[in-house]
Amino acid sequence: MTTKHGNSVKAAVAVRKEIIITGFGGQGIVLAGQIVGKAAGLRDRKQSTLTQSYGPEARGGACSAQVIISDQAIHYPYVRKPDILICMSQGGFEKYGGLLGENSILIVDQDLVNPPEARCAAFFSIPATRLAEEMGRKMMANIVMLGFFTAVAGAISTEAARQTVTESVPKGTEELNLAAFNKGYDYGAAVLKGRQKKAEGKKGAL
Amino acid sequence: MTFTRDFDETSRGMDELKIVLFVCNWGPHAALQTLQDQDRDIPHQVRMIRIPCTGRISKTLLFKAFERGADGVALIGCTPGTCRYGAGTYTAERNVEGARGILDLLGLGKDRLRLATFLPEEASPLLDFLNDFTDQVRGMGKSPVTPVPLKQPAHDGRRNTAEVLKAHDVYACQDCGKCSSACPMALSGRPYSPRAIANSIIAGSGNTPAVVNDVWSCLTCGICYDRCPSAVDFPAFIREMRCVQKASGKSGHEAHEGFFQSLMRAMTSPDLRTQHWKCLPEGIRTDQQSKTLFFGGCAPYFDEFFRRHLDVHTSDILADSLRLLNFFDVTPALLPGERCCGHDLLWSGDRENFLRLARLNVEAIEKMGIEEVVTACPECYRSFARDYPENGVPVNFRVTHIFDLAEKEIDKGAVGFEALDRSLTFQDPCRLSRMEGRADLPRKLIDRLRVKGFREMQDRGVSALCCGNCAWTGCDGYTKALQVKRLRQARATGSDLLVTACPKCQIHLRCAMEDPLLGKEIGMDLMDLTSVIARTIRWE
Ligand code: SF4
Ligand code: SF4
Ligand code: SF4
Repeated sequence: MTTKHGNSVKAAVAVRKEIIITGFGGQGIVLAGQIVGKAAGLRDRKQSTLTQSYGPEARGGACSAQVIISDQAIHYPYVRKPDILICMSQGGFEKYGGLLGENSILIVDQDLVNPPEARCAAFFSIPATRLAEEMGRKMMANIVMLGFFTAVAGAISTEAARQTVTESVPKGTEELNLAAFNKGYDYGAAVLKGRQKKAEGKKGAL
Repeated sequence: MTFTRDFDETSRGMDELKIVLFVCNWGPHAALQTLQDQDRDIPHQVRMIRIPCTGRISKTLLFKAFERGADGVALIGCTPGTCRYGAGTYTAERNVEGARGILDLLGLGKDRLRLATFLPEEASPLLDFLNDFTDQVRGMGKSPVTPVPLKQPAHDGRRNTAEVLKAHDVYACQDCGKCSSACPMALSGRPYSPRAIANSIIAGSGNTPAVVNDVWSCLTCGICYDRCPSAVDFPAFIREMRCVQKASGKSGHEAHEGFFQSLMRAMTSPDLRTQHWKCLPEGIRTDQQSKTLFFGGCAPYFDEFFRRHLDVHTSDILADSLRLLNFFDVTPALLPGERCCGHDLLWSGDRENFLRLARLNVEAIEKMGIEEVVTACPECYRSFARDYPENGVPVNFRVTHIFDLAEKEIDKGAVGFEALDRSLTFQDPCRLSRMEGRADLPRKLIDRLRVKGFREMQDRGVSALCCGNCAWTGCDGYTKALQVKRLRQARATGSDLLVTACPKCQIHLRCAMEDPLLGKEIGMDLMDLTSVIARTIRWE
């Protein structure tokens, strides 16, 4: 698959998933990585690892979280070829975009990342930061993105993701974060549905 | 042979067919006279009513015979070209065609109504027709319509004026006049004032012809309630007063000779199996196992009734609603034999029959195991969500207006709209915008559309002007003036499409546009918001 508007997500689903989440420091990238790893490990009963890297200046600088999920023991925790690359900054894409393979899924924040034609199986975008802003919390863009990722990538189960979000966010913000998660999740489900409809040749209601 | 023997005479069995003949006094009556002079055997099921001209028998009168229990009705007139008054026979043809359409939608079968014409010398053909028609009706069996008493029982909770005044706390009125100064009826030039009506009724003059008349002129649009500092719910008060008046035998001002009230009363028959879903266009997916039901309402009947006259297509709203639901992957069930929600019966003082409809609807819906009822008509929405429970018919399902459903689905994202090269203005339906306080909802949706422009009318939202008629009551020159005023407001926005959200707003405003003197000045394209959405929505 060489187009960035790939058709099938299923092609990329495998027992082992290597995931990179990138963005700036302060966007909650590492927390997002932790939630994915915890959801897979503690709730979905799989193996998972998390490594993180920061650029020289933590806040505002480049930042990434690398998660591996597998049914079997994971011996090497660094991602070589991401099955899923989530970019919440252009810089993150510049840095990791080259690792994409033809079976990878690329997910970006639509307003922050503008990828050129990338080699991947499927391309998804969501205005995560804008949606979070509309909900009154720009800070929750990572959780919106997490919901979207959960819906389109099929790497972790929805229930595991929701529960882990509630357990991982500061006390008192659970409801808001869940709402953000659902926002992203619904958006993802709508995107998948829209693609399916278009593939069936149905664009509108008439 | 007597012409006017009543149906419920005891000499005839309950199962006996009842066939009504409206016979024109001219040609066919002469033929009939010949039959009688010759002592020919006229089928005994037939009861005859002599009329001056078939053109005078409106769709309403034809239908009322069925409402009152007729199994078959024949309109017998003069051969085309021989009508004494000129166009009688042609008018009769049109009316019979329209009424047959309605009978079909109702599931009675159009063949229960026929038009036949005869010359004075055609006695034998007339007899043949009567025999043939009687056989045909016999073949169809008795009509499923069971006549209901027109007169309301004089008891049933709040049935007298004092109780109604108390229940709606009309005594709280401070006589400040805010209601009258906002009331569109008063502003349309009618000598009319809600507070004056309230005060007269409090003072015990509720039975004077002037007050009775005013009670029936109110549009129950609710602006007065919105403005009233004492929260006197005038529309609800008027509604109850109409029930009181009906119970004491006073009739209201029903538009179209009460056709729609007749239609709704006919729908209270438990054995009726309406057929109005049969005419759905192709490609719409429904699923009788679904837990979501789409309740359509009476639009198909409106289209049939106004077909010749207004050329309305309000059932497009139903088809477009279903397409929109399908777009969102909702494949709803439809209620076989769906009846009217009863809104107009309740608001025109007939609570008894409203309750009959409400119980039949709720029972049928619950039997299907439905969890959510979606409606596109603000009146159906209001009836199910509010009036049923408030009148003692609880519902065990969610009631959702399709705008809420659409807004929720669109808000999930990935959905956009195709550009529409029109500029829009919006007519608020009073049952949704004002009475439910949801004026923001249609506007949110309009905001999402990609249109040339959207401009509000001078009066909008909770202050919007009524379309000029509610529950098919009180249509007159003043309501017409109100409609003209509204259409002028719409035109003044410079828009080229008036978006409505209630099938009746469309009908009443379209009716005003037929004014031969003002037509050009106030004419405008109309489309329901659901249709605008369904026709432009796209997956992105
Ligand atoms: S409900 Fe409307 S028409 Fe009736 S009195 Fe109030 S403002 Fe006037
Ligand atoms: S606005 Fe209310 S208080 Fe004022 S006159 Fe009207 S009903 Fe009475
Ligand atoms: S305004 Fe027209 S459509 Fe409405 S009730 Fe009056 S005559 Fe009928």
